Amino acid sequence: MLLDYDRLGWLRGALLAFTGLVAAFLLLPVVFIVLLSFGSSRWLAFPPPGWTLKWYEELFAEPAWLEAALTSARIATMATVLAVVIGLMASFALVRGKFRGRDAVRGLLLTPMVLPVVVFAIAIYAFFLRIGLGGTTAGFVIAHTVLALPFAIIPISAALEGFDKSIEDAAIVCGASPFEAKLRVTLPSIKIGIFSAAIFAFLASWDEVVVAIFMASPTLQTLPVKIWGSLRQDLSPVIAAASSLLVLLTLSLMIVTALIRRKLST
Amino acid sequence: MSGNLPHRPPVLRKPVVRTRRGLGGALPALIIVSLFFVVPVVALLLRSVTEPTPGLQNYAILFGDGTYARVFFNTFLVASIVTAVTVMVAFPVAWTLAIMPPALGSIVFGIIILSMWTNLLTRTYAWMVLLQRTGVINRTLMDIGLISEPLPLINNLTGVTIGMVYIMLPFMILPLVGTLRAIDPMTLRAAALCGASPLDAFRRILLPLSLPGIAAGGLMVFVMSLGYFVTPTLLGGTSNMMLAGMIAQMIQSLLNWGLGSAAAFILLVVTMALYALQLRLVGTQRVTGGV
Repeated sequence: MLLDYDRLGWLRGALLAFTGLVAAFLLLPVVFIVLLSFGSSRWLAFPPPGWTLKWYEELFAEPAWLEAALTSARIATMATVLAVVIGLMASFALVRGKFRGRDAVRGLLLTPMVLPVVVFAIAIYAFFLRIGLGGTTAGFVIAHTVLALPFAIIPISAALEGFDKSIEDAAIVCGASPFEAKLRVTLPSIKIGIFSAAIFAFLASWDEVVVAIFMASPTLQTLPVKIWGSLRQDLSPVIAAASSLLVLLTLSLMIVTALIRRKLST
Repeated sequence: MSGNLPHRPPVLRKPVVRTRRGLGGALPALIIVSLFFVVPVVALLLRSVTEPTPGLQNYAILFGDGTYARVFFNTFLVASIVTAVTVMVAFPVAWTLAIMPPALGSIVFGIIILSMWTNLLTRTYAWMVLLQRTGVINRTLMDIGLISEPLPLINNLTGVTIGMVYIMLPFMILPLVGTLRAIDPMTLRAAALCGASPLDAFRRILLPLSLPGIAAGGLMVFVMSLGYFVTPTLLGGTSNMMLAGMIAQMIQSLLNWGLGSAAAFILLVVTMALYALQLRLVGTQRVTGGV
């Protein structure tokens, strides 16, 4: 009875009301920040005394914001490509390999996701200082690839596990080389997993704050570092404007994801 | 590549048992993780027993000083409160999502994903503004006459709890929906037929059957909360600093690498022990919580 939506009685209303409240709670900061970015009060009074676009003007007037966004996009794109390619190869090994210690390898490759980022951040910071990669784009890309790798491996492995290997074998029996069979039969079948991997890997790098705070140099700042720096000074509405653009980006990402998933699955 | 090769008749693989078959593909990942994850972390941990002089004095300081004991206690306190609140809020939501009509449910799922994918600093910034002394929440409560003085909602345990629960809820709700959907509704119908009251059916069937999901999700939230840096730093006060914030401060402001890496080692050991426990509960596949 408790799992029959139509036979819950009064409990259904209570559950729906509670879920509605939690949904509102989850939505509140996102909607609030967008409204605030158009408010005219520098002191973030709400509801705002008037509406304005001046925080967006200030945002675009300062080239450091755009520069930071471009830096983030560049690093996240490179880290995504690396994590997806390396993660794809690793997934084949983890799902199909018959080597000893496979579970240990899987555990090791997923560890960067579990270890508190702050531990990795100071470790890689010290290490890069020593080998001369501190504050460089290459350093950022490597560190973010390590962090993004688990997010690539998990969806690709899951997709690969759901794929019947005998289809690939059939292609080989029909004369395809093992490489060709993987490229033309297996990869198209697990494309949704690869696509999810790319989205998660991108977000893992794009949204990464802690490693970036330690690694950033005055000349190389990612967007989260720029926001972090501004936040520690004051709660300027310019941050609200920047944040609203990030919300817009998230929304577009969700829509694109939904569209592509629909297209890929047909 | 294959185009250049002459077509060969297919060779059927012989069932040779080799212990390294298929390892090759994992090599790039293994190399990058070993070189840029394992080596730096091990090197860091070595500093905890070599700086400033070889020995265990850093650990002696961390375990001997009341200030650090407070930070450890506070870290576990915050993680426990956040986990408890998250589980209690997430369960009814996951329950509803598991059985509600998909059309309505997809709206709620959309909101959860939107919140989860929105930039972490954006969300935290929003809570900083919402919770401050002159923020909307205090203003509204004062306007409707519930309070006469602004409540201290930020730079304290309340602020950290609200901000952290907000971040953790999706990680608890999404896997729990899976757990609850896997429960056969027939078992609960049978209970009702046999005369069980809704409360009995909940207590003796629904709750026990969803316990593995609750335990796995709760453990994940607890582990993530233990090592969280951003939200506690921005929404918490100096009096309730957490371990991750303390580590960052030791390195960044005090440049005390010995003490900082010793604290990092303690955080690592606790996290890995709980991770191992979680693996035993659910296996690696489910650890990410439904993503």
